[in-house]
Amino acid sequence: MKILIVDDFSTMRRIIKNLLRDLGFNNTVEADDGLTALPILKTGTIDFLVTDWNMPGMQGIDLLKTVRADEKLSTLPVLMVTAETKREQIIEAAQAGVNGYIVKPFTAATLKEKIEKIFERINAQQAQ
Amino acid sequence: MEHIDKNAQLEAAKALVTAIEQDDAAQIQSQLAILSIARESELFQEIGKMTRELHEALSNFNVDPRLVDLTQNDMPNTRNRLNYVIQTTEEAAHKTLGYIDQTLPLANELKLNADLIDKSWHRFRMREMSVEEFRALSREIEAYLPVVKAHADNIHQNLSEMTLAQGFQDLTGQVLKQVISLVEEVEDNLVRLVKVAGQHADFNAERKKDHNPIKAEGPQINAKDNPNVMKNQDDVDDLLSSLGF
Repeated sequence: MKILIVDDFSTMRRIIKNLLRDLGFNNTVEADDGLTALPILKTGTIDFLVTDWNMPGMQGIDLLKTVRADEKLSTLPVLMVTAETKREQIIEAAQAGVNGYIVKPFTAATLKEKIEKIFERINAQQAQ
Repeated sequence: MEHIDKNAQLEAAKALVTAIEQDDAAQIQSQLAILSIARESELFQEIGKMTRELHEALSNFNVDPRLVDLTQNDMPNTRNRLNYVIQTTEEAAHKTLGYIDQTLPLANELKLNADLIDKSWHRFRMREMSVEEFRALSREIEAYLPVVKAHADNIHQNLSEMTLAQGFQDLTGQVLKQVISLVEEVEDNLVRLVKVAGQHADFNAERKKDHNPIKAEGPQINAKDNPNVMKNQDDVDDLLSSLGF
């Protein structure tokens, strides 16, 4: 499983990368905003996307919408990890088709829980 | 002065009426001239007053050379200071993460070896171990103890480095306090500027900032006072499940 981590702060990317490694996900790549993430996503090698919302260039919410609108990427699981906590924003992300929404600062347990939930749901859908 | 003008105007007006009644063309002209001179002088007075006000406003504008200084020097300086905060916090975070990366494998190795020795030791206590195996275990323990000491020393040293890396808080805190006092000064100057320059401005005009509810704002500083903001992950999860998520 190859995971793309998108955040404009290198420290946050590193934290997420280390936490994912602890959860057994060793294969990660990084991008610092939506614009640099898209070419990586278009290679078709990414299985899971973890993205921040507030970034220069292309923001996470726009990256999510672009992914959902792309025929080849539309079913890619997307987890948003962000400091954006307004009701409208969370509703917007949900309507845009986000698979999980984690608010910063977050814990390792939360990350684990949300990722497990996302895969549970995907597996259940595939079984149907 | 106004009183004298008024009497003079009244007299001129009465004389004008009389002159019109008497069809005295010369008198009509001269009384009209007196009246228009009076009117013009009023106009000049008004213009004079406005000129003085404008002059005062303009000189008040220049009253504070500090504003110029703020714009030319302090603002660029503040940008540098804030960039310093970003850079310093980033370095500190990476430094700490680096020591964590160095420390985790040490702790892991200690745990794995301890597990192995623990299992062997248990077998020895249960008298399930041959003499040969016991000799091997002795050698393992002998090799393990100096490793424990060395790793513990390293872990201790790494933790001390992590402690030191937290020194960024002091440095960035000082810089941020300077920035706060500059922002206060700019605010103060702007308020005075608005008072001087904006006497006739419409202060009731609504702020026309276009409000986009999903615009990224970063961390909410006053989340407690805003019912529209989720306070924690549980709030977010509740909201999402209320949406059937």
